[in-house]
Amino acid sequence: MSDSLDTYLILSGILFAIGSFGFLARRNAISMLMSIELMLNAVNLAIVAFGLFGRYPDATAQGAVFALMVMTVAAAEATVGLSIVIAIYRNKKTPLVDEYDSMRQ
Amino acid sequence: MLAKLPQIIFALLVMGAVFGIAVVMLIALGQDWEDALLWILAAVMIGSGLLVVTMRDIIRCGLAMIVCFSALAGIYVLMGVPLLGAAQVIVYIGAISVLILFAIMLTQTKDAPTRLVFQTQAGPAAIAAVVVAIVIALAVSATDWGEVARNARLGTELMSRILFQQFIFPFEIVSVMLLAAVIGGVFLAKREPGGPS
Amino acid sequence: MTVEMLLPPLLVLPLAGFAFTALVGRRLGKGAHWVAVGVIFLAWLIAMIAVVNVLTGTAPAIEGTDSHGYIVGPWEWIPAAGFHVDIGLYVDELSACLLIVVTTIGLLVHIYSVGYMAHDPGYWRFFAYLNLFMFSMLLLVLADSWLVVFVAWELVGLSSYLLIGFWYRKRSAALAAKKAFIVNRVGDLGFALGIMAIFLNTGTLEIRHSLEILLSPTLAAFPIPVPVVALLVFAGAMGKSAQFPLHVWLPDAMEGPTPVSALIHAATMVNAGVYLVARANPLFAAAPSAMVVVAAIGIFTAILAASIAMTQTDIKRVLAYSTLSQLGYMFAALGVGAFTAAIFHLMTHGFFKGLLFLGSGSVIHAVHEEQDMRRMGGLAGKIPITYVTMLIGSFAIAGIPPLAGFFSKDEILGEAFKLGFPWIWAIGLFVALLTAFYMFRLMGLTFWGAFRGPKELWDRIHESPSVMTVPLILLAIPSAVIGLALGLPFGASIIHGWLEPVFREAVELLGHAEAEYQLFGIDGALIGASVAVAAVGVALAWRYFGADIDGVHLPARPEAVREISARPGLSFLYRASLNKWWFDELYHLLFIVIGGRIAQAFWWFDREVVDGTVNGIGSTTVVAGRNIRRVQTGRVQNYALGIALGLIVMAGSYLLLISAPR
Repeated sequence: MSDSLDTYLILSGILFAIGSFGFLARRNAISMLMSIELMLNAVNLAIVAFGLFGRYPDATAQGAVFALMVMTVAAAEATVGLSIVIAIYRNKKTPLVDEYDSMRQ
Repeated sequence: MLAKLPQIIFALLVMGAVFGIAVVMLIALGQDWEDALLWILAAVMIGSGLLVVTMRDIIRCGLAMIVCFSALAGIYVLMGVPLLGAAQVIVYIGAISVLILFAIMLTQTKDAPTRLVFQTQAGPAAIAAVVVAIVIALAVSATDWGEVARNARLGTELMSRILFQQFIFPFEIVSVMLLAAVIGGVFLAKREPGGPS
Repeated sequence: MTVEMLLPPLLVLPLAGFAFTALVGRRLGKGAHWVAVGVIFLAWLIAMIAVVNVLTGTAPAIEGTDSHGYIVGPWEWIPAAGFHVDIGLYVDELSACLLIVVTTIGLLVHIYSVGYMAHDPGYWRFFAYLNLFMFSMLLLVLADSWLVVFVAWELVGLSSYLLIGFWYRKRSAALAAKKAFIVNRVGDLGFALGIMAIFLNTGTLEIRHSLEILLSPTLAAFPIPVPVVALLVFAGAMGKSAQFPLHVWLPDAMEGPTPVSALIHAATMVNAGVYLVARANPLFAAAPSAMVVVAAIGIFTAILAASIAMTQTDIKRVLAYSTLSQLGYMFAALGVGAFTAAIFHLMTHGFFKGLLFLGSGSVIHAVHEEQDMRRMGGLAGKIPITYVTMLIGSFAIAGIPPLAGFFSKDEILGEAFKLGFPWIWAIGLFVALLTAFYMFRLMGLTFWGAFRGPKELWDRIHESPSVMTVPLILLAIPSAVIGLALGLPFGASIIHGWLEPVFREAVELLGHAEAEYQLFGIDGALIGASVAVAAVGVALAWRYFGADIDGVHLPARPEAVREISARPGLSFLYRASLNKWWFDELYHLLFIVIGGRIAQAFWWFDREVVDGTVNGIGSTTVVAGRNIRRVQTGRVQNYALGIALGLIVMAGSYLLLISAPR
């Protein structure tokens, strides 16, 4: 089973769907960020899976290094995102995203 | 504890099912132990992922996220990229999850556990998520990947050679980006001089 | 100085008088009438010169016909290709007869108004309007193009509106003026359509030319059939001359001052319709079916109006319905083909009806603005000149020989009988009886018997000033003698000689043979019948309403009248007559109530459907905008759901497209 690319991709897809559900449905901003991390991980898994099944010699390594870059970017994004949430929390006194609607028409 | 009972039971059921299948596969069908382990790790990952998005208490969500990450690290190792698995543990579990837990503690409100967990649009979101999963699954299974075979296990040396030879430019840029992120994060989260504490 | 050169001033003078009096009149105060009357006097002189020349044959002959007359112009008016209109003036014998009536009575009415309107603050306005009217009427009679006739037609209607509503502050007067104008308009619509039909058929709007083409046998089929054209033109005549069913405006028009009633609604404007049909006589002769319609409507109006006149109590209303009735006679004459008789009656009627109206104005002036005959009576001794002239007028209209009405009325009835319309003759005879009856009822109620008004009024009754009584006398003379002058000798009368060239073609077309006049045969019998009927009518009136002229002294018997009018069969007729056969109520129901409902429905449609659609488009935009705005919640998660949906749609449709050929 693990010899087929589809397994890893479907697994990645399921994790991505779970992450997107969390992102769309949770009220707390931090929960949304956690869901984003889940989605990023799912994508990482997919990248590594593609690299694993590549048809030229360095494919696996390239896939892995690519995933490493993504991981780094995810770290930076988590940093900035969380500091934004903290800044907004100081302003609005609540971490719940339904209160962040001052751009409402 | 009791409030989270349904989700925990649900996750456990999923895990149990996957375990069961894995055990069945291992024993009854005579599969390789690697495949069974993959199934087990996948089950843990999916289960804890579900817990992350459905649990009421955010701290517990964060912990479930850590479990998810570690299962994913295990999957990386199984796939033959142990360096990446190690990086996953160090970066995600060691840095990002801790960061998230710190942020949770900084933004906690007293009545957090008693309020609603889900948004009004949770229903449509669930449907959308399911449909996304189905679409991806269909797309994946409908694609003809051709003759592919799994590559061999990857060594650390090969990976680092690729990193510092082919990927040197992205490496440098990423480091600059990390610097910018750090500075930006500090600046954003800084308190206004004389502002509210 | 030829007569042709005098004719344009004939039109320009009244117009100039109108302009002068309108612009400067207010400042002239009591002297506002000098220019107006002077202008009409000059116009009268010019008209008489032209008339004498035309009727005695001194005027040049008009090519194509046997008549003599003057043609002035043509001047180019509308030089558009395909619709070329030239206008000019055309005076032949028919115009000459009309000119006599219009200018003479117009002049006498102007002089009379100096006295009648002396105390009115709008003195100058009255003379300005009178001059405008004279201009319009002269233009109508002298025009040689249908379009100019129509323009003059409308101008006459306008002047009538201005003059009926002269006392515009009085609500009933304003309403009457509006009613007159609107009812006229209905007729004018028919006339306008008729003119367009003439143009379609013949390609020209010049009167003689178009009539020639309409009569020519070479053209087989016209786009608009000739009877239709004739009926459309008659519709215009119906409006202007107040024939049924467009007769309702004339009685209400009595709201205007009495000189207006005399001039416009007795002698000139209402004759415009008769003139129109007479001028278009070839058109009608080519459509015998239309002529029957004309005759039927004419005689029906005659009897309708006469029946109403029998019970009216306002002195002017009686005369108004009498006018309607006599106009009906004229149209009946035109309809049976007795064109000359119609014009003859037009002339005599103009004189004696003008006289009767001016006389009634004098009576009203004498009893200080009282118009109800039930409060008059016994005025014969107090206002002798008025009394005598009105007596002459009443005998004239009743048809007692040798006064004017006898000759013209008898000619109409005789021609009707001889030309094969015995039913018209019979109805006309009955109407003659009614005419005599109601006229002498009027005389009885007004001049004989005891005075029924307030006591203190009796001593203040006085004869009118000479500026009013002289026109009365001047009108009484032709009322008495014009019949003798123009109607004799029987069978080959002078007026026949004048008008024969004008109507020759029509008479030929209709195939009326010129029978020998048998004074002691059929014609004598007809004369006897007319005179007998008139005498019976007069006698009946004297019996019930009294009489007090030399030799005859009869008391009025109001109780007998009341008793008769209360009898079972007659009481309905009495009420119907008193209520004008409820025509006004019928029109109110039809046009105001039902028409109003229809108009409301259309207004609803315009408001709800048309405006609703336009507004709906606008509000759709607004509502759509308002609802689409609800997408902008300001919450990131809602937007993210949108992204997810978009992703699903795109990926899903791509998948479907990929999998479709399989």
